[in-house]
Amino acid sequence: MVTLTLFVPLILAAPQGPQFEAPVRMKAGDAFVACEAPGFACPTWHDVDGDGKKDLAVGQFKDGKIKVYKNTGDGKLATGEWLLAGKKPAEIPGVW
Amino acid sequence: MDVNGDGVLDVLSGSYSRQDKDMAGLFQVLHGEKGGTYRKAEVLNGSDGQPLLLPGGEGDGADISRICTRAFACDLNGDGKLDLVAGNFGGTFCWFAGEGPGKFAPKATWLKAGGEDMKVEMHSDPCLVDWDKDGDLDLVSGSSSGGAFLFVNEGSKTEPKFGAMQTLVKASGGHGMVLGGDDAAMPEVTFGDAHLKGPGDDTRVWVDDVNGDGKLDLLVGDMVTLVHTAKGVDEKTAREKLAAWQKKQQAFFKQPPPEGEAGQQKWQKEYEALEKEKEAFAKDEMTGHVWLYLRK
Repeated sequence: MVTLTLFVPLILAAPQGPQFEAPVRMKAGDAFVACEAPGFACPTWHDVDGDGKKDLAVGQFKDGKIKVYKNTGDGKLATGEWLLAGKKPAEIPGVW
Repeated sequence: MDVNGDGVLDVLSGSYSRQDKDMAGLFQVLHGEKGGTYRKAEVLNGSDGQPLLLPGGEGDGADISRICTRAFACDLNGDGKLDLVAGNFGGTFCWFAGEGPGKFAPKATWLKAGGEDMKVEMHSDPCLVDWDKDGDLDLVSGSSSGGAFLFVNEGSKTEPKFGAMQTLVKASGGHGMVLGGDDAAMPEVTFGDAHLKGPGDDTRVWVDDVNGDGKLDLLVGDMVTLVHTAKGVDEKTAREKLAAWQKKQQAFFKQPPPEGEAGQQKWQKEYEALEKEKEAFAKDEMTGHVWLYLRK
């Protein structure tokens, strides 16, 4: 029991992985980036609008839609907008 | 990524299954158009003009290795042509060699690590990037149980050879599902989302230098089920009622399976009534978030 007490803090203090800061849940505007039910967020970091700044694009299960969060250049993301095919949100059939 | 080499950004996606008997999934492309819009999704064909499909095992039944999860286009073998690397339900990875802009070999080969198929638990999720900055492409993947995993390319830019799987982010251990399990495993519910400290299950990854400090960071998408209290119900009351309801739910599922169409309809109605009963004090929300791991 004493041994456990001594070792637990050491285990907790050991780095889980050497390379990362603690994870941060991404926000767009004042809200967390979130998918429609049932979730399954698939992120991509790419310059979608061609303005020289990489944006966040997030695919989701429901209807295979993709939401684009534009990089506003100040370390923040704008509120998401659906990626469009024509004038409607693009849908990829059968997406997991 | 520019799949067809026309200089305009396209969107490439896997799609789970075409609902045929083998459950094989398709690859879909939203071809970009000048002006920033996209065409409707089109099935990606191989150079033989037939839809690209993941290779299957023997037999003609459902095959989880053919159910497509995620596709990634990159020049894996350094020949200057865009290849396709895809994940599947079973957790392995396969490679379609590129044959020029928008053209891919019809037959794929499974990627190996140490002579065995490279594999995460399930739902492989390839993202290829030069993680260790040695000039070749390494493979990072999410999985059905969460986490992020790295297969370092120990070969070269033109002859990739992957090493054993390394863990970048530990799997969540199932905390994506707040409810569920049998009597012994039923966890105490935590309401809302303030308790979330990292990704849940079913992770999807992307690697890039997000904060511009010259180091590759990790973006992780997930699936999580949250539980909220119903309007006007405090947490203590909701927790007590939920515990009682969970016992009823467990008893319900311990019933003998329904027989016949009438029996199934009765079972379905009773199940829906049970779920409706819960809405009076608690409501589930399934969603997905994106987590950023900045590299130290």
